[in-house]
Amino acid sequence: MKRKSELVVPLLFLAAAPLVVYSVQRVFLHTPNERTMGTAFKIFFFHVPMGWLCMLMAVISGVAAYVQLRRRSRTAAAVALAAAEVGFLGGLGVMLTGPIWGHATWGTPWTGDARQVTTALLWLVIAAYLLLRHFGQHASERLAAALAIFGAVNVPLIYYAVKLWKTTHPTTGVVAKLPPEMWATFWPGLSALLLVSFGLFAIRARQLVLVGELDDAYVRLEDSRA
Amino acid sequence: MTPISPVLITGLAFEAAPAPADGGEYEPAVGTSREEKEILATLEDKAAAKTASDYQHIVWAYGILWALFAAYGLFLWRRSARLRADVDALRQALDRPPARGGPGA
Amino acid sequence: MLHLARVRLLRQSLLLLRSELRQELRDLELVLTSTFFTLVVLGMFYLSFAALEKKHTLPAVPGLLWLTVAFVGTITLTRAFDREREADTLRALLAAPVERLAIYVAKAGSTLLVLLVCCALLVPGLASMFPAGQVFWDMPLETAALVVLGCLGYVAIGTLFAAGLAGGGGKNMLLAVILYPVTTPVLMFALVTTRALLDKNPNLPSYLGQMAALDVILLGVGALLFEPVLVGAAPARSAQAARQHRREALRAAGRQEPR
Repeated sequence: MKRKSELVVPLLFLAAAPLVVYSVQRVFLHTPNERTMGTAFKIFFFHVPMGWLCMLMAVISGVAAYVQLRRRSRTAAAVALAAAEVGFLGGLGVMLTGPIWGHATWGTPWTGDARQVTTALLWLVIAAYLLLRHFGQHASERLAAALAIFGAVNVPLIYYAVKLWKTTHPTTGVVAKLPPEMWATFWPGLSALLLVSFGLFAIRARQLVLVGELDDAYVRLEDSRA
Repeated sequence: MTPISPVLITGLAFEAAPAPADGGEYEPAVGTSREEKEILATLEDKAAAKTASDYQHIVWAYGILWALFAAYGLFLWRRSARLRADVDALRQALDRPPARGGPGA
Repeated sequence: MLHLARVRLLRQSLLLLRSELRQELRDLELVLTSTFFTLVVLGMFYLSFAALEKKHTLPAVPGLLWLTVAFVGTITLTRAFDREREADTLRALLAAPVERLAIYVAKAGSTLLVLLVCCALLVPGLASMFPAGQVFWDMPLETAALVVLGCLGYVAIGTLFAAGLAGGGGKNMLLAVILYPVTTPVLMFALVTTRALLDKNPNLPSYLGQMAALDVILLGVGALLFEPVLVGAAPARSAQAARQHRREALRAAGRQEPR
């Protein structure tokens, strides 16, 4: 069982490697510049997948946290934390590249667009979850699970709330329709990013499970010697 | 752009020079002069060239993204090194030779 | 069956709520500290924003209102559950043959009452300090509905997390860290609705309806998660904490021993 699961991570990275190379050379060499945004538009090809990664990981973390609460599963707890960490990473990527792109095309790093604010708030919830898992005492793990579930439930609510809130502000059109050759560049990039992140996620989850097993082993050792 | 256009424009100007019709109410048409058009065109060209060769933003964006992932990878690597040390310490504490390969990170 | 269970839940909730209120009436600790804090925040807002022109206070007043609710709510919840922790009553309550949901309802109810008392000071205060707040006087019913719905949503989430931290022996600092991000949707809905009220928007009833729907969702999630979060934390607490400590000591020793 262990042997098979050990193969997963190298396979993920092995599959990701050519995709990364292919998507990068496609992005920089073979995709025409978008008409009004010029080269800065190329940020899109990794910015948007990072946003999706963040949302996906938040949902995975919420679902795993639910399983953790229901079944007291240590694996689920590890998966929830690992997913939150990778989601945090994705969110950070979106939040850093977004303003760079905005600066290049809209002339302002922050427009208060519904997606921006939603992502920022979701990222805050993930950060709060990580803080709670790392600094809360041992028993606050279940509370952290509740927080992860709330984070996942919050996503649509926040999006709707921000849209309502925005009715009093100007709206900015975000890219709606793309020509097919742009999508042809987009999908390999997305798959490469997802493969790499799932590889990292699997590594982290296994590490966390191992930490739990080590704790048990140490306690058992102490028991046997006492 | 082509040598035709000045001729064309002067021709138009002559053509447009009106036969003064009814008295006094005529006002000359106001439009973009050739100089203004040229300035506009060069500005547009400059702007287009700038957006088409705006490498600064891309370099920053991709640099940050890849640096983030590299940092996380490094963090994971160090973690697994520490875990491995812990596993080894446990094995020594157990006084058992590490025959069976434990769950390596 | 179902009907009976519901009646029992309601009765137990009311009983618990009454005991909460009786305890509060004995020394008025929560009400006094929270209202005092409200006044302090109000005074600070006045000092900071008294110079604003009317057209600028219009977008500011909703923010001031709900920021104060967020601040006051955090300290009320912290204090309410600190008291439980000091006397270790929460665990006793969880061990008692009471519906867990009743504990949630009673705690949320008492916190809501404290918050509403604070709002009874806060809203008139804002209304008299800032010209844009005049609408609060003109439309008292709508204002009351708005405040009750907003505070209810806040309390629905706040009680869950404050109770979880108190039961798990967590740290207080973390409550603020958790509460502010998690309560953002409620506060944003409340903000938008308050803005609609101040603008005399004809769609105000639909905004209020949306807030009520949100409250139902939040109360549902809060009630659903309350038991797994608290009951999981409470009995396992001592054993798990002891294991954690032992493990840390062991590992520290184990790491130095062989080398």
